[in-house]
Amino acid sequence: MKVNYLSFKGICHALVLTLLSVATLSAQRVNGVVTDAESNEVLPGATIVVKNEGRGTATDSEGKFSLEASEGEVLTVSLVGYAPKTVTVGTSLTLNLSLSPDNQLDEVIVTALGISREKKSLGYAAQEIKGEDLTKARETNIINSLSGKVAGVTIVGNPSGIGSSSRITIRGERSLNINRNQPLFVVDGVPISNELRGSSGSSYQEADYGNGAGFVNPDDVESITVLKGASAAALYGSRANNGVILITTKTGKNTKGIGVSVNSTVSFENVLRLPDYQNVYGQGLGGVFEFKDGNGGGAADGVDENWGPKMEGQLLAQFDSPTSNGFRGGDVGNLFNTIGPVNLDQQLAARGSINATPWVARPDNIKDFFETGVTQTHNVALTGSNANGDFRLSYTWLDQVGTVPNTDLKRNTISFAGGYNLSPKLKVRTAINYLTNKSANRPNLSYGTENIMYLFNCWLGRQVNTASLRDYWQAGREDLNQFNYNYNYHDNPYFGLYENTNSQDINRVYGNVSLTYDLRDDLSLMLRSGTDASNEFRARRRAYSTQRFQRGSYREERIGFTELNTDFLLNYKKTLNQRFDLNLGLGGNAMRQVGRFSDVIAPELAVPGIYTLSNSRVALQNLTNTPYTEKRIHSLYATGQLGFNNYLFLDVSARNDWSSTLPSDSRSYLYYAANVSAVLTDALNIKSDILSFAKLRFGVAQVGNDTDPYQLATTYAAQQAVLGSPSYSESSILINANLKPEISTSIETGVDVRFFHNRVGLDFTYYNTQSKNQILPIPLTITSGYSARIINAGLIENQGMEVTLNITPIRNRNFSWDIALNFSRNRSEVKELFTDPESGQEVSNYVLATRYVTVEARVGEQMGNMYGIGYARVSSDPASNYYDPTGQNVGQIVYNSQGKPIPTSSRILLGNYNPDWLGGIGNTFSYKGLSLGVLFDVRSGGKLYSHTQTVGREGGTIEETLEGRADGYDLTVAGNGVIGEGVVQNADGTFSANTAKLSAREWHTTYTLGRGLIEGVMYDASFTKLREVRLGYTLPNKYLGKSSLRDLSITFVGRNLALWTKVPHVDPETSSNVGGTIIPGVESVALPSTRSWGVNLGFRF
Amino acid sequence: MKYTFLKSLSILGLIVLASGCTKNFDEINTNPNAPTAVNSGLLLPQIQRDMMNALLGETWGIGNIVIQHTAKNQFVNEDRYLWGELNGIWNNVYDNNRDIKIILQQSEANGENNYKAVALIMKSWMFSLATDAYGDVPYSEAISAKEGQNYPKYDTQEEIYNGILGDLKTASDLLGTSSESVAGDVIFKGDISKWKKLANSLRIRALMRISRKRDVRADLRAIVDNTATYPIFESVADNAVYAYSASAPDQFPLFSSRIGSFNEFRASKTLLDTLQSLNDPRMPIFFRPTPDTESSANPVFAGIPNGLNDVDALQYNGGPQFQSRIGSTFYEQAISTSGLSITKGIVMTFAELQFLLAEAAEKGLISGDAKAYYENGVNASFQFYGLTTPAGYLTLPEVAYGGTQEGNLAKIGFQKWVSLYFQGLEAWFDWRRTGIPALLPGISNQNDDKIPVRFRYPIIEQALNADSRKAAVDRQGPDDLNSKMWHLK
Repeated sequence: MKVNYLSFKGICHALVLTLLSVATLSAQRVNGVVTDAESNEVLPGATIVVKNEGRGTATDSEGKFSLEASEGEVLTVSLVGYAPKTVTVGTSLTLNLSLSPDNQLDEVIVTALGISREKKSLGYAAQEIKGEDLTKARETNIINSLSGKVAGVTIVGNPSGIGSSSRITIRGERSLNINRNQPLFVVDGVPISNELRGSSGSSYQEADYGNGAGFVNPDDVESITVLKGASAAALYGSRANNGVILITTKTGKNTKGIGVSVNSTVSFENVLRLPDYQNVYGQGLGGVFEFKDGNGGGAADGVDENWGPKMEGQLLAQFDSPTSNGFRGGDVGNLFNTIGPVNLDQQLAARGSINATPWVARPDNIKDFFETGVTQTHNVALTGSNANGDFRLSYTWLDQVGTVPNTDLKRNTISFAGGYNLSPKLKVRTAINYLTNKSANRPNLSYGTENIMYLFNCWLGRQVNTASLRDYWQAGREDLNQFNYNYNYHDNPYFGLYENTNSQDINRVYGNVSLTYDLRDDLSLMLRSGTDASNEFRARRRAYSTQRFQRGSYREERIGFTELNTDFLLNYKKTLNQRFDLNLGLGGNAMRQVGRFSDVIAPELAVPGIYTLSNSRVALQNLTNTPYTEKRIHSLYATGQLGFNNYLFLDVSARNDWSSTLPSDSRSYLYYAANVSAVLTDALNIKSDILSFAKLRFGVAQVGNDTDPYQLATTYAAQQAVLGSPSYSESSILINANLKPEISTSIETGVDVRFFHNRVGLDFTYYNTQSKNQILPIPLTITSGYSARIINAGLIENQGMEVTLNITPIRNRNFSWDIALNFSRNRSEVKELFTDPESGQEVSNYVLATRYVTVEARVGEQMGNMYGIGYARVSSDPASNYYDPTGQNVGQIVYNSQGKPIPTSSRILLGNYNPDWLGGIGNTFSYKGLSLGVLFDVRSGGKLYSHTQTVGREGGTIEETLEGRADGYDLTVAGNGVIGEGVVQNADGTFSANTAKLSAREWHTTYTLGRGLIEGVMYDASFTKLREVRLGYTLPNKYLGKSSLRDLSITFVGRNLALWTKVPHVDPETSSNVGGTIIPGVESVALPSTRSWGVNLGFRF
Repeated sequence: MKYTFLKSLSILGLIVLASGCTKNFDEINTNPNAPTAVNSGLLLPQIQRDMMNALLGETWGIGNIVIQHTAKNQFVNEDRYLWGELNGIWNNVYDNNRDIKIILQQSEANGENNYKAVALIMKSWMFSLATDAYGDVPYSEAISAKEGQNYPKYDTQEEIYNGILGDLKTASDLLGTSSESVAGDVIFKGDISKWKKLANSLRIRALMRISRKRDVRADLRAIVDNTATYPIFESVADNAVYAYSASAPDQFPLFSSRIGSFNEFRASKTLLDTLQSLNDPRMPIFFRPTPDTESSANPVFAGIPNGLNDVDALQYNGGPQFQSRIGSTFYEQAISTSGLSITKGIVMTFAELQFLLAEAAEKGLISGDAKAYYENGVNASFQFYGLTTPAGYLTLPEVAYGGTQEGNLAKIGFQKWVSLYFQGLEAWFDWRRTGIPALLPGISNQNDDKIPVRFRYPIIEQALNADSRKAAVDRQGPDDLNSKMWHLK
């Protein structure tokens, strides 16, 4: 018989039944009011649920409710801060209920394996975000919505405006591999990919294609739980070592009948912050400029810097000045190898002479280049449930137009969740999400010609009217020659964005199906299979005359990724006697990950404007050496929870993994977790008006971890053929055939106390993690023949604290004010690195990443320390070259005889990119149906390197470069020239003040001594952001009368509205993206972040 | 009871399913994308390409400038000796020696003497570039991470040169003693006799390089007087060059530069003026007429002095329109027939060998006709550019051989300097030893009026091989541009 239930036909039949037959009982409508038993004030927001039926409602702003219930049914009324109450429906159609304030807390939170548990029973820190917080003030990348709301979470992103990628870390950096510090994302119990795949190489600059978890649709999310520690690792495996972001999708449970909900948001984005540009001097050099061919033909017109004439309205030939023959000044093609060598003289003659136009500043030339971004999201969801099942079907359409011209994103998500009780003992559930994500163009990132910010922040002439660049082909040479203000170094930004596109097309499905069978009342078995499968196609076009691609180029990248998880979980649950509750689980998981990649490039195009691989002028090149990867992990785990008198809870779990990536003798590894929660107020029977609730928790967890596939054998990588000869090179990463699994051990302890009938709540957590035997490619000097060797190494200690404080200063009948504060602080210290057991050679520092600065792990120092060349300074150390026995000049910067700072001979510590602490302050004010939420996000401390500062000075673009040219470039004029503040060392070793004056350009172009001395461009990355403002109104349903419309709400939202920081020019909350790795602490001419304003409308019927 | 038993059995089955099936894990973790062994012929091509491209990169960016073949009119840091990190040679020498070592090991095991010799010659050439650029560098302990050496010591330059000279001789002796053909050789296409000539020609270069420190007379004579055993280059046909192609990705590397990045390099007044005074027909290949006059009836050539500051450089002579650019065969014409015959990656040429021999003969280190070597060198240089030496050129007072030894050495040095156009790094290495021609430091230089004589070690070495580096610095002198390496001391 049971076999029938399991048949496919049976399941389909059941699902159809679920959709169609939503039961209607012979019910009556019960009305009532819920009040506070002590104050008699009405209580809005109390929920009334019909027990075991899944039907329910909530009280409105006047404490009133109305629902259908049959005589004899039991109603449960609950509200946070009050003791729940159950009543049985009688014959009366009116039910007025009063609730007593309760010291008990029955908050429920979704935890590992999707199990809802009372928060008080948890022995570890977890924080929850409701789905509503994600959909009203929405972000295209859902990860960004967590900013400022969860203690201990750091998020840095690449602000491209259209669902760009974000890096999230919880409780700081534990791993020496900078890519392995992110948490695991789990949707409905099954892990999903959070891959960020790089896209550079062969002269193509990095473009931001988003990160895997960023594609989750906020409209389908019921809640997000952040499990901060490693406690859940036994249940989700090693990847949960860095915490878990647990996403629970919406279902049709607890909805009455068939319901339809609609939620729409339209928001407008503009640029939050642009650099402060100077608006005094235009393009040129030494005060001179005149356009002839943009290539050095005119006076300094090949120069792409702003050391030219003052912009005073004088008449000068410019690229957009009209010519005698009706062309523009810049309509002259010099790009030689596009259509063969060109005769410049003939072209100049054809163009005609330039009629000079006024030389004026364009203060808004960059601001005006950016457009108003528009994001529309529309969601419609159909839900239904009855005693036997429930379903939810949802469709979401996202359409985004970025602030960067010609960038967009279109995402369609269909989500289905359903469950059905096939028999009283057998339940089936599924949740499936299918999405398509398309972008015609994603902007390029990082320093280089393909990123518009490279041009804007560093080089663009301040006199250039960007609107003149909009018509970006040279007259008569469409598809062949771009039109630009400078042909020596740059691409026209409109040309780059409209012609050189980076498209993306993703199809992805993730979800799971599960069967739960109750073997006995106290024993159940769950079988589940889940997958995350995606196919991505990226096409990248480069037009003829692009600086880096004179003959154009075309590239196709295909990325296929599948992760399949198959689980079983046997669960035993028993109340042993009056005092003990026992819950035991035995589970297993088989995980398989397969990746398929191809990346093919047509290095040059035969025919301009045709973007196909077959239009390649030369042989196609293959750019990937790893077309296929596969990895498997098999696991068994056991968990147990023991509850005592509902105030003492013990959780234990253990897991054994078998990973395909490790050598056979160390393939199997066991790890465990245990934690305790004690509710003191209950245990000690404390009843107090002051202390409402107190809980202590303590946990310890150990996690083992594996590595990437194919790390055990040296291989040879195919190289680009050399003049037709195929070629290979041995991998420069030295493998280690004897790898052991990584092990990290963490302890966590915390306290949760509530006061004044839960109107003040404080949660404090301290944690300490020791991560050892990390598997990582430890960099070697290339003189050893290898760039890195893979080893088990290191001991990183990570400790910190998290505090959340919730206060409700005012709560009365009509008005309430809630404050939510969170604060966190983390320190990661490198305790040990590596000592070669054979040679005894010791590794005392480890370079995690290099980009302008080196991020190094040195024994005894903090993780995230950044090193680089600094200023040589006068020292009190007699061994120093700059020793000052008098002590008078100690600390001063030492200049050379030419007035330039002397660099230190070796790299010095320039700071740490990790913040000292993070904080968030949320205020919510509610008045009847109206609510106002204001969220501030604070980050204190941490250093940032700014490439905008370095190069913006060289280009004379930013405001700072006015120093030393108060009145032109004549050094004899007062105010011109710069004398660096510091000393010079005299021949006799004494010091005297530096008096050497440098021209403004000399000073600013060598401010970093050719980008080598970077101490002067490190900034305190602290900031405060007005992260979110939300003003919402929910229309009481009574005004909707008999219409079927319900819960009509309208919300005005603003995100990232204001920024306060000491970092000049840029948003410190940005990062640099190199080869798929986001490097924190480095700003590399990132696209400006955006602020958004929008309106959200929701209703149901 | 039976019911429970069945349940237990099925659960046990699941457990076995989850954990037991790890038998094929080794297979799953076997990389299907890449081989674990390849033959030497597949390793050689990319070594040759990478080294040539690395050498050309530093030649263009630094060598040609410091030796005053070219000068910069924008972004003049290099020309003012504000040299940032110059890691191209370093990284490529060591990165590619990994594969060289594998060829050596494989050829040793297989008795492939030709491959072994070719690898030894490549290795010697590569390490000569490294030590000539940096001084003391890791050598004897280099490329040994597999054997557990993570921190190779820096050998003295003397030890390195001893190693190079030994390896080159070994290579010459080995070549032809086995029968395998050298596949994957894009320089000589497997021509063993040419490799042998290169080995011995490089020995002469190396011996002359260290001739200030050591009496190299006997070693030189052992080669020059015995060319039947130790053949050397006999004509331009023996030139060790890497020929680029007309199509991507094998084009001359500069072909794909941004136009501005190419044109910020201009003719150095130092070289251009002397060529002009000699009416040297190589000049129009090296340089273009000023943009202003290029298409006029009377094209004018004009260089700019080295080491000017940005403003002075760009405005020199009235601006870029009046400053000669670098020859078009090195840029847009690099893919034309004439470009392909000139713009090559160069290991060593017949011309250079002749000038070395002329110097050795003039100094009495070898017997032989210094004048003949000299004139062969000049002729070979013209030949390289598809020219014949103009009638009367060799009798010009500035060119004609004869007279004092000092005068002759100056003429050899000068012609060699010219012939090493676009081999700026080699020209600089050689100039440091001879001081010919007499060059003045760039005008607004930032190096205390000294022409640099070495590269700084890569900064990353401070983090990854600190102790070894420090020992080298303590021995050799401060890690700056001015410390003299062993063979210059």
